[in-house]
Amino acid sequence: MRPFYLLYSSLVTGGLFWSGLTGWTPASYDEVKGVPKSVRDNPGAYRSHYARSARYFGGK
Amino acid sequence: MSKIVPKPKALNCPNCGSQIELRAMGAAASVVCAYCNTTLDATNPQLTILQKFESRMKVEPVIPLGTRGTLKGSVWEAIGFQQRGINVDGTNYFWREYVLFNPYKGFRYLSEYENHWNFITSIPSRPVTGNSAVNRGTASFGGTEYHHFQTAQAYTWFVIGEFPWQVKTGEGVQSMDYVAAPKMLSAEMTQNEVTWSQGEYVTGQEIWTAFKLPGTPPAPNGIFANQPAPAVTGPGRPWLVFLALATLLFGMMIFFAANSRKEQVFRQHFTFQPAAAGEKSLVTPVFELKGGTGNVQIDLDTEMSNRWAYFAMALINEQTGDAIDFGREVSYYAGVDDGESWSEGDKHEDFIIPGVAGGRYYLRIEPETDPPAPGVSALTSSPINYRVTVTRDVPFYFRYLLGILLLFIPVLFMGRKGGNFEQTRWMESDHGTPPGWPSQAGQSDSGDEDDE
Repeated sequence: MRPFYLLYSSLVTGGLFWSGLTGWTPASYDEVKGVPKSVRDNPGAYRSHYARSARYFGGK
Repeated sequence: MSKIVPKPKALNCPNCGSQIELRAMGAAASVVCAYCNTTLDATNPQLTILQKFESRMKVEPVIPLGTRGTLKGSVWEAIGFQQRGINVDGTNYFWREYVLFNPYKGFRYLSEYENHWNFITSIPSRPVTGNSAVNRGTASFGGTEYHHFQTAQAYTWFVIGEFPWQVKTGEGVQSMDYVAAPKMLSAEMTQNEVTWSQGEYVTGQEIWTAFKLPGTPPAPNGIFANQPAPAVTGPGRPWLVFLALATLLFGMMIFFAANSRKEQVFRQHFTFQPAAAGEKSLVTPVFELKGGTGNVQIDLDTEMSNRWAYFAMALINEQTGDAIDFGREVSYYAGVDDGESWSEGDKHEDFIIPGVAGGRYYLRIEPETDPPAPGVSALTSSPINYRVTVTRDVPFYFRYLLGILLLFIPVLFMGRKGGNFEQTRWMESDHGTPPGWPSQAGQSDSGDEDDE
């Protein structure tokens, strides 16, 4: 159990240190290149990949 | 090293005539013929017979008599062997004992039960016996308190070789064991005397190495009275490792928090009117993310209730046109059912984007919610007020606390395992439970000896 715990704790600690250095988060997002500059004047010129993907499960 | 022990003196058994080797240089009180099991008086040059015993039991010692080995820093020669046993509820439990001899250090003993070994030394002074707070017998010796484990009537079933006392097959003594792993104290009581000894747990591998026994030692069965708990389940160590790592994580959290700028670069209120016609998306004014690469947190604070909204967002670099697309749903519902108020969801959501290079950026926001249904509810056509805040280089706290929790869970499991180890150990005792626990019903809870 001891080697397992040492390995496990090293992974947890090392992973958190790395995430602290890089700012990594488990969030889901997409990187898109070349969004047209016309978006500034016409926001509808670009559609987010996440648009219309809403799922509602709320309410009692 | 073996030269320090002289060669044995050979005599003949007066009962069967077989050769008997005396190895203890006159220090033994009795010697048992390995062929006819007759016990002879080793202090008498004529080896007068003390006991004739036709043993039906023949036990072959794992360490052959005459074998020398280095154990605990000294050379020892195995000169005597006996098998002893106790009877519990009609079942005999046997263990084996070896007499070890060194001409400069005297006698020591090895005991073996179910492949658990103890190196035993007689102690001249009597430990202080008493009772613990829960009325369990204790014995204090050398600054250590030992807890009563078992009291039993032990009988000698088979003997061969030399012994520093007049050993007799069939002889019985009352034995009491007190435990403070990895050591134990044992008292053996006859009508005339009480003999105390201290045992220290040794592994089979140590015995095999010391006496150069062939093969590998058999694996021990069960948990012995003074068997030390495995290192990782022993008290202290996993907790110390955990505390060190938790401190390290806490230090990391403080370090990264102290080095984060947490700079608010944009904040603005918006209103989303679902019923309004036309394009619903909007862009924010340009804001600057200073410095090199770092994270960016976007907070959404809404003022809605009993409805939901979804925000498809893009953080767009004004110069390069590179965008980071993401989305967040905000929903908040509350009410009263059967007199009890309830709520679910949150009016607030945030999103952290890692590794965003410095530069000039703006947000494109596209809110979405249920379309207004004419005549059903006016609420859904009411506007949604929300506020967007952009913060550069935010510290993380939750993940480090989560990390500490992740480190703690195995320690908790190991602690439980250690507890199970102690429970299993003490289940074999007269008490059934570890010291400090209530004894199981029907089991003796006193280690008081009746040897005064």
